[in-house]
Amino acid sequence: MTLYNSFEELLSYCDEHQCSIAEAALTQEGRLSGRNREDLLAGMRTILQQMRDTVASGIASEEKSMSGLTGGDAKRLMGFMASDQCFLSPMEIRMMAYGLATLEENSRMKKIVACPTAGGSGSVPAVLVALEHEKGIDPERTTLGLVTAGCIGELVARRMFLSGSAAGCQAEVGVASGMAAGAVVEALGGTPQQVITAAAISMQNLMGLVCDPVAGLVEVPCVVRNGLSGVQAAASATMALAGIRSFVPLDEVVDAMAEVGRLMSPRLKESADGGLAQTPTALKFTQSFFGPVQGSSPEA
Amino acid sequence: MNTSLFDIVGPIMVGPSSSHTAGAVRLANLARLIAEQPVAEVEFVLYNSFAKTYQGHGTDRGLLAGLLGYPVDAACIKDAYQLADAAGLRYTMTPVFAKNHYSPNTVQFKMQLANGEKMRVVGHSVGGGKVYISKIDGYNVTLRGAYPTLIMFYKDQPGMIWQVSKAIAERGINIASLHCSRNERGVQAFMEICLDTLLPQEVVDEIRTISDIYMLRNLDKLSP
Repeated sequence: MTLYNSFEELLSYCDEHQCSIAEAALTQEGRLSGRNREDLLAGMRTILQQMRDTVASGIASEEKSMSGLTGGDAKRLMGFMASDQCFLSPMEIRMMAYGLATLEENSRMKKIVACPTAGGSGSVPAVLVALEHEKGIDPERTTLGLVTAGCIGELVARRMFLSGSAAGCQAEVGVASGMAAGAVVEALGGTPQQVITAAAISMQNLMGLVCDPVAGLVEVPCVVRNGLSGVQAAASATMALAGIRSFVPLDEVVDAMAEVGRLMSPRLKESADGGLAQTPTALKFTQSFFGPVQGSSPEA
Repeated sequence: MNTSLFDIVGPIMVGPSSSHTAGAVRLANLARLIAEQPVAEVEFVLYNSFAKTYQGHGTDRGLLAGLLGYPVDAACIKDAYQLADAAGLRYTMTPVFAKNHYSPNTVQFKMQLANGEKMRVVGHSVGGGKVYISKIDGYNVTLRGAYPTLIMFYKDQPGMIWQVSKAIAERGINIASLHCSRNERGVQAFMEICLDTLLPQEVVDEIRTISDIYMLRNLDKLSP
C-alpha cells in the first residue's frame, strides 16, 4: 500500500503526521523497498556526491563535447564572476555555471546523475550544490532536498512519461525545474505546501517547452536550458517561500503538462524535426556532422 | 507500478541521454541475459525517436556496450564500437522510418547466438533510464529488470504453475508477482515470476527437470 498517490494526498499525509515531504518520501520508499531510513539516505548521499563531482569536473573543463558543439561555457561563466559587468550575485552565477557544467559533462559522455533524465540533469545539482557552496547549507539538508526532488519527480512520473520523446522538454527540464524548486524549499526548511507550490510555479513557467535538439544531440539548446533552469527554479522557490500561492494545484498542473505533451507535434518531441533543429544553421551543422542521412552506423 | 525515488534521482550514468543512452544500455543488458548464450551477431532495428537520433544520443554505443554486459555508468560506453569489434560481435543498425505502432524509443534485437539459435527481443525505453521488454520470440512479456525474475516457455498444460511455484516456495523465497500468457491453448505458454531474491542455481536446476519446459532463464535484476 502506498501512503499517497498524488500531491494532494502527500500534503494531507504531511499535515496529518506533522512531517516534511522528505520524511514522508523516506517512509514510503522504506515500505516499498524494505530498506531502512539510514540506508536510503546513504544512497542519496552517494548520488549527491556524484552531482558534486560532476559539477567540479565540469566547471574546470574546457574539453569540447563529442560533436564539438558545446563545452567550456561553465568555466567561462565562473571566470565572469570577477568581472565588473557581473551584476548578478555569486549564488546566481554558480547556479547557472553548475547547470551548464553538468550538461557539458553529459555531452562529453562523462558520468552524471539522471535527474529525472540526463537531458534535465542540470537543474537539481545546480541549486543544491550552489546552496552548499554559496550559502553554506549543511549537506544533510541538501540530501533531504534531493529526497524531496525525487518525491516530486516520482509523483509527476505517475501522471506522465518523463521523456522528451513522449512529452517534449517540459517533461525533462520542466519537471527537473519543478523538482529543483521543491528541493530548494526543503533545504531551506520551508513547509510542505511551499515545496509543492514552488514546483507548481516552476512547472507552469516551463509548460509547453519543446524538445528540438540540433542534430539530435543533447547539446543545443539543452546545455543553456539547464544553465538557466536552476535560477528559474530558485526564483520559483523564492516566490513560494515569500508566501505566493499557485492558483492551480500541482496535480492539475502536471495533468495539464501531460495534455500539452499529447497535443505537441511529434516533430517537437526529440525527433530533431522541428524548432531549433530545423533552422538553417542547425541543418547545415547536421549535414556537416553526419553527412547525408544513411541507414547504417557511422563507423560500421 | 510504483517508481522508486532512485529511478527518478538516478541512475548515475554516462551521458548524453537517459532514455536514449542509459535506456539503450539497460535494454541490451536485458537482451543479453535473455539470450544467455553469447551473441555472435545482432541487428538492432530502431524505431521512431531511436531511429532518428540514435547516433547523436549514443543509442548505438549504448546498445553495443549493453550487449557486451557493461552497466550504464561504464566510462567505456563511449568506445563501444571498438569494444564490439574487439569482442568479435557482428552488428548492424537498421533505422526504420515507416509509420508503426511502437512507442517512441523502441528497438528490436534480432540476435544470432553462438550456438546458432536465433532470438528476437523487443524493448522500449520509457524515460529516465527506465525500460521494459515487451516481446521475446513473439510472446508478449513485461520484463523491467527491477526484480530478479524467472522466465520460461513451456507446454500449456495443467499443473505447471503449481510445480514451479512449489519449488520456489519450498526454498522460502517470496514471489512478488506472477504473470502467465499463452499463444495457443495446449501448445506453448509463457510464465514470468518476479522474486524478492535471485533463485539459487539448485532451484533452477530442479525446475529444469519439470518436463515440457522449452526455455528457462533466471535473470538477476539490473544494477540501478
